[in-house]
Amino acid sequence: MPETADRFHDRYDAVLHLLDRQVISSDGLLVCKVDDLELVETGDGVLVATALLAGTPALLPRLSGRLGAVVRDFWVRMGDEQADRRLPYRIDFALVAELTSAVTLTRPRHGVLARVPGEGGGPTRHRLGELLSMAVEAPEGQRRILDLRLDERHRVRSLVIGHGRPGAMLGYDEREGRTPNQGPALVRTIVRALHRHAREVPFDLVRIDWQEQRVRLAG
Amino acid sequence: MKKLLNVALGVLTAIGGFVDIGDLVTNAQVGARFGLSLAWVTILGVVGIIVFSEMSGRIAAVSGRATFDLVRERLGPAMGMANLLGSMGVTLLTYVAEIGGVALAFQLICGVDYLLLFPAVGILVWLILWRAKFSVIENLFGLLGLALIVFVVALFHLGPDWSQLGHSAVSFHPPKPEAWSTWAYYGVALFGAAMTPYEVFFFSSGGVEEKWGVKDIGVMRTNVLLGFPLGGVLSVAIAACSYVVFHPLGASIDTLGQVGMPVAIALGKIGLAIALLGFVAATFGAACETGLSTGYSIAQYFGWQWGKGVRTDVAARFHVVLLLSTVVALGILATTIDPVQVTEASVVFSALALPLTYFPILVVANDHDYMGEHVNGRMMNALAMIFMVVLTVVALAAIPLMIWTRMGA
Repeated sequence: MPETADRFHDRYDAVLHLLDRQVISSDGLLVCKVDDLELVETGDGVLVATALLAGTPALLPRLSGRLGAVVRDFWVRMGDEQADRRLPYRIDFALVAELTSAVTLTRPRHGVLARVPGEGGGPTRHRLGELLSMAVEAPEGQRRILDLRLDERHRVRSLVIGHGRPGAMLGYDEREGRTPNQGPALVRTIVRALHRHAREVPFDLVRIDWQEQRVRLAG
Repeated sequence: MKKLLNVALGVLTAIGGFVDIGDLVTNAQVGARFGLSLAWVTILGVVGIIVFSEMSGRIAAVSGRATFDLVRERLGPAMGMANLLGSMGVTLLTYVAEIGGVALAFQLICGVDYLLLFPAVGILVWLILWRAKFSVIENLFGLLGLALIVFVVALFHLGPDWSQLGHSAVSFHPPKPEAWSTWAYYGVALFGAAMTPYEVFFFSSGGVEEKWGVKDIGVMRTNVLLGFPLGGVLSVAIAACSYVVFHPLGASIDTLGQVGMPVAIALGKIGLAIALLGFVAATFGAACETGLSTGYSIAQYFGWQWGKGVRTDVAARFHVVLLLSTVVALGILATTIDPVQVTEASVVFSALALPLTYFPILVVANDHDYMGEHVNGRMMNALAMIFMVVLTVVALAAIPLMIWTRMGA
């Protein structure tokens, strides 16, 4: 059994600690992977993670590149008559017991996955995968989002921006709460050298344009 | 007492699990052509598989996560998928080779052509994967695989010129008519045979299935540290037997029957019977392990319930993958492709695919978030980094050497 402490009620990194982890039901069975996260904008410019998303409609959009687009298009065409073809399974954060090396739920496996329609009155729901695919216009040039830091109430506090793909720093970045000298030294040196220009941006300075699929940094 | 028995059983199954069709064929071929001049590669491969297995076994024990779960978690869905396709291709190729190997071994026993036998073998393997208990697979075939010790006995019976054998083992260059490139190519093949990726998928997933905890790390290490080196001894014995019998004749090895010939010469019918039993057990056990590994890897990537510890309908998709990969493997064998040639290709592609899964495991084995105090120590990391470099070099060299030497022709 994992002996590391629960991160879900503490600060954590969305990509490094939560995305693509195994989801386990309260009866110890494997349910799915965290294929994506649901993000909701509350009125006062705060972005909150509210649910785990799972299933092919959540996973496929995260496969980037031309091949990913072909696969996505094919997947939708294969079930043209299904209204919920693009709708992923949603597991509300209220059902999450703890986050260690896996995500443990408070419910047994039976019937735990449901496709819940997102639209209709409520706040606009976004996906983390969508945000991670956006280009970031920073003063120093075009960058990508490498990770998102969330607080204990799952509000996005800051973005880590730099070159490369999300999660590319593999936990080797020097920030508070990290093991300072995670080995092997050679891998650490190379990863840090590759990401020497990566930096953390407070979320107050971040403007997300969901329509234009762009992120701008103020100031 | 029971614990000691468990340790002994684990060690024995590690020996049997190490030797499969790839080791049998490649070691015999290398022995016949290059003597023991590549024995150091087997030793390197054994150390490599110890390092890789120990890390993934420790991760499985501490965090309960198996290999492909972590590959996707660290590399993301896209690179994880590319990784999955590569590793799956190699494992499926190995699965084909193992089922074909079982059929070839049965052909040697009963004389019926393997093409008539392989469908039955495939169905039998699938039934075992579907129905039999996990420990039965491991222990039965692991123990029967020990029959391959007959190669060590045969080597002594053949009464080789030991000084010549020793000289061959410490000469780090190809014997006279052979080219450097061919020698290096077979080195890559031998390395891939010793460090086949499925061994690690199976080992770590098996650990999760058996619910290893932190207290089991000691037993796991003992199994790895004793079992794999003893498996390496069997490999070198096969190569040495093949060297003694075939090298003076200048013969090359193309069939499984030739692999067992030295035993027949040294020990007669009884010896050959034991060797054939060893062939069947080693390949059958490996067929089960590779088959399971295809299911483990795909299910772990997608987060499906997997494993033989739960009812088959609870892990339905896992069992569908097992069924489909068996059908595909049988389909490939039905093209009458030579299983020995499939084996030759599979060991080289194994060497090519290794760094893909090795790197994420190395990173996670160092992650306090997963491992707590059980992260790699300094010595382990030094060793692991050396192998990271070795694996990368071998993987980069594999395809160019394959083309250049026309698969070692």
